[in-house]
Amino acid sequence: MFEVIHTTRFSYEAPVSRCLNEVHLTPRALPLQSVYQSTLVVDPAPATFHHRKDYFGNDAATFAVMEQHDSLTATATSLVKVEPWPEPVQSSLSWEDARDQIAAAPDDSCLEAAEFIYSSPFVPVLKELVPFASESFKSGRSLLEAAGELSNRIYKEFKYDPKATSIEAPLVDVFRNRHGVCQDFAHLMIGACRSLRLAARYVSGYVRSGPKVQGAQASHAWVSVFVPDIGWVSFDPTNNVMPSENHVTLAWGRDYGDVTPVKGVTLGGGLQTVQVEVYVNPV
Amino acid sequence: MAKDSVTAAAELKENPWHYARAEGYWDEALLPSGFPRRHWRRLFVEVGRIGFRQLSRRWQSGQQLIHSQGITYNVPNRPEGYEHSWQMDPIPLVIDQNEWPYIERAVAQRATLLNAILADLYGPQRLLRERKLPPALVFANPHFLRPCFGITPNSGVHLSSYAADIARSPDGSWWVVADRTQAPSGMGYTLQNRLVSARTLPGVFNQCRVRQLAGFFERKRQTLLAMASSLRNNPAVVLLTPGPHNETYFEHSFLAGLWGFPLVEGEDLTVLDRRVYLKTLGGLKPVDLILRRMDDSFCDPLELKGDSLLGVPGLVDAVRSGSVIIDNALGSGLVETAAHMAFLPSLCKQLLDENLIMPSVATWWCGQEEPRRYVLEHLKELVVKSTFPRAGRHPEFPESLSESELKNLFSRIEANPEEFVAQERVALSTVPVRTDVGFSPRHAMLRVYATWNGSSYSVMPGGLTRVSTQDSSFVVSMQLGGESKDTWVLGSESETGASRRQLSVPIEANRSNRNLPSRVADNLLWLGRYAERVECRVRFVRTLLPALSGEEDYGRSVSLETAARLLTELGFLPMKTNEESLGELHWQVQRLLTEMIYDVSQTSSLRWNLKEMRRTAWHLKERLSLDTWRVLQQLESQFNAFVPSGADHRYLAGMDLLDGVIVTLSAFSGLLMENTTRGFGWRFLEIGRRIERALQLAELIGGGLSAASTDVEPYLQILLQIADSSITYRSRYPTVMQTDLVLEVLLTDESNPRAVAFQLAKLQYQIIKLHELLEGNRDSGELEFADSALALIRGVRLADISQRDSSGRYAAVDELFGNLKVALYEISDALTSNYLSHLKASRMRASW
Repeated sequence: MFEVIHTTRFSYEAPVSRCLNEVHLTPRALPLQSVYQSTLVVDPAPATFHHRKDYFGNDAATFAVMEQHDSLTATATSLVKVEPWPEPVQSSLSWEDARDQIAAAPDDSCLEAAEFIYSSPFVPVLKELVPFASESFKSGRSLLEAAGELSNRIYKEFKYDPKATSIEAPLVDVFRNRHGVCQDFAHLMIGACRSLRLAARYVSGYVRSGPKVQGAQASHAWVSVFVPDIGWVSFDPTNNVMPSENHVTLAWGRDYGDVTPVKGVTLGGGLQTVQVEVYVNPV
Repeated sequence: MAKDSVTAAAELKENPWHYARAEGYWDEALLPSGFPRRHWRRLFVEVGRIGFRQLSRRWQSGQQLIHSQGITYNVPNRPEGYEHSWQMDPIPLVIDQNEWPYIERAVAQRATLLNAILADLYGPQRLLRERKLPPALVFANPHFLRPCFGITPNSGVHLSSYAADIARSPDGSWWVVADRTQAPSGMGYTLQNRLVSARTLPGVFNQCRVRQLAGFFERKRQTLLAMASSLRNNPAVVLLTPGPHNETYFEHSFLAGLWGFPLVEGEDLTVLDRRVYLKTLGGLKPVDLILRRMDDSFCDPLELKGDSLLGVPGLVDAVRSGSVIIDNALGSGLVETAAHMAFLPSLCKQLLDENLIMPSVATWWCGQEEPRRYVLEHLKELVVKSTFPRAGRHPEFPESLSESELKNLFSRIEANPEEFVAQERVALSTVPVRTDVGFSPRHAMLRVYATWNGSSYSVMPGGLTRVSTQDSSFVVSMQLGGESKDTWVLGSESETGASRRQLSVPIEANRSNRNLPSRVADNLLWLGRYAERVECRVRFVRTLLPALSGEEDYGRSVSLETAARLLTELGFLPMKTNEESLGELHWQVQRLLTEMIYDVSQTSSLRWNLKEMRRTAWHLKERLSLDTWRVLQQLESQFNAFVPSGADHRYLAGMDLLDGVIVTLSAFSGLLMENTTRGFGWRFLEIGRRIERALQLAELIGGGLSAASTDVEPYLQILLQIADSSITYRSRYPTVMQTDLVLEVLLTDESNPRAVAFQLAKLQYQIIKLHELLEGNRDSGELEFADSALALIRGVRLADISQRDSSGRYAAVDELFGNLKVALYEISDALTSNYLSHLKASRMRASW
């Protein structure tokens, strides 16, 4: 069981007279993930607050702050229990067969996966990712194995560098400059999969801190790849692991844009700075 | 009757049009024999009767009408500016009464079908589950707006406004070339085309019993109000425009005026607790229906395109909550893709249990293997389009591509096949178009409009016909400089005169209430300021120009030195230590005055201010009467006609120009004064005007007195002239010219419309009235400042301030004007924060 405390603080150069925000800060209830508690405290107190399920089935909330403010703090606290995978995932389905099955979409789960094989705003399908992906996706190789290796290669060939990028960095720059943060690596792996018409989605969440674990102090991100015979399988290219009981899932979508933890529109404000703090405490 | 048709036939044999059809195409007007089709004959006879020359003359006045009505179409990225006169051809496209019901049924059916597809794709998605439509056409389509998924529109329909582009192939059959499901444009232009064509060819228009369009527009208005009424009694409907830079802004403001709905931009609206409000002077007013002329993805920077500055944050959620209806529903752009056309026949069967009435142009979507193979094999015969319409992507014609370009296209299709569709190139039918030398055939396409009427779709009996730019081209595009035509659908039953609404744009009269959008008030204030600034500038330059002529004749005695000193004192000429030669000075003043008239790059120039004035007026277009607008046009054409090339002649020509401009400006002020009710809008205009005139006078009088080193008289005379008060002064003081007396006339006289005191008294009055209208429930900062400004002037002792101090300066005047300017700026600020404050803060940033 974890207690996750996720604090986002916006400071504005000029007063903001009003703001409207959309957040994805409530962990998803999943077969292996139970959410016991999830609260959101916003300061200054929002005038309106509204919960809904978004298109991908995630919990989304919108709130408006109507009083003038110089900074805005949103603190989400969740109590979550994550079970480990009962047994190691196994599938020998070749990536080509997987690709063809998704294209043919014989059942609803493949149809659902078809959502995740195309360009999305943060992950354009880039031609130059094809050779990069093909190095792992060799002819006839199992999808599961190839995806694991791709994740491993991103971990090895790309430098984790929190100062290197902002989320605005286009995927192609991340690819060419060979460094980035977890969001970039997730996008890169998704882009590589999609360049071969494989279904890959973006997962937003948290990772428990530990030696050599990156991304524990902020919101984390990883990738799920659709394997038609067993379902969605996750990979964390930032830490070279397959997420299990140490990863807390918030939400998933096509890319960061679908599940941005906190986003908003302000009236006024001028320049702004953002500080994010995440604590994942075992309890 | 029989005799008539005999004469007609005789006249037709002589082929008075000298119009020859192009081989290989269906000609709308002529049979293959060269004889006019039955439904074109009256038109042929009439045009033959009046003759080409007479038609050309009439057409000149037709084009003048287009110009004077301000009918424009904005073309981006053109050096000569983006506002262009609407292009139209006088000869209508005539459609047989027997043919129209087919088109009408086909377009209504298609609207029904596309609406059903939208309802499915944003809801149960059975079409995907049952493999009736490939998932890529939804999931890869950037116009599939996921935040809108699962929203059932309150109006019952996703698609309430629809248009189809249809064309006729050589065998005479009609085909749908494109669907417009986002925010179809052109409806307003269609009505304007009708106005112009009915005036150009009045006789034959009446003879032909052309079906009226007004009923359709009235039905649209009624439907919108009925849909909105389902939410609330006395609902509010607004028309949302991206703004004056949008290519079809003209028709946004035209339609808003026609229907009587406020024309709003994104920043005029705000969402509070899941409800949309219009920001008005009287506070926030709920909005029930938004007729959008903005692409849906730009409508909400929170949930849709994050970088859009046009939209309304929170709009999607307001729609989700059911508190507002949008026409068309957000997300309706999804079915605009041409790729759907390949699937429509089976979808029509499936969803409506009907056969598709009018076929679509043969379409192959490359996302499927077989069609893709066909496309790659027959590339040169096809036209290739982007599956998902994006700005800046144009159809490609492989036939005219080079080998390497072709190869490139080939590989692009293979890399991202679902991004491409190919369509058969339709050999569009031809219509006669008037050119300078006669009539020639051009290819045409017709846009037909349908609107939801509460239970089914009504189709406008007419439409927007567009023709290609050159004889040989099939490209029909207003953006690429094509022309439009009116479309005459002949009718058996003529609609009653009652349905024919007066098509003039109502002026502000009935809107001068508390619901005036704050942005409009702001623009009116600035229109007032710019108009006044222009006028002051004209009077200023006009008074100084004679200094260059060298003749000191009757009353206009302005010497070069006086002019130069005044210009220096006002900061227009640099200070000089040495005495310059007279020639040098002449040259300097001449250059400066010329620049002050013509140089659009300088913010002090007449031209720049005129440009700003017009820009501001443009934002208010739907609120200005047509006459006011005409006067503005005239002002502009006066200027455009007058840019002499020789620098020497420029200032002389300038004199005539300014004389003309001042008269036109007076007409402008007069129209605003006489044609506008004394509501909020007018008060803001008036306030702007008074503030500006007071500021300009203060600047001028202060500068004039400072410039007068020893002999003050010439400067007093100039001041009186610029302030148009010479006659007032002379009638009071025919023999003397004294500083205190001049200051009385220009400064403290509350009865002289050109005196500072007059402006301040008016300003105070208007601000009091503003408070009354708003029931006084605001801070009255601006009133306090107005009171104190007026008190400043009323407290002036002329005998004291008209004296120089020991250093020879009019220090008391300087101090007075310094205080006055501060007060005026305070008034301006207070007005802004009291009435217009939400405008200042409207810059939005996505914080992620």
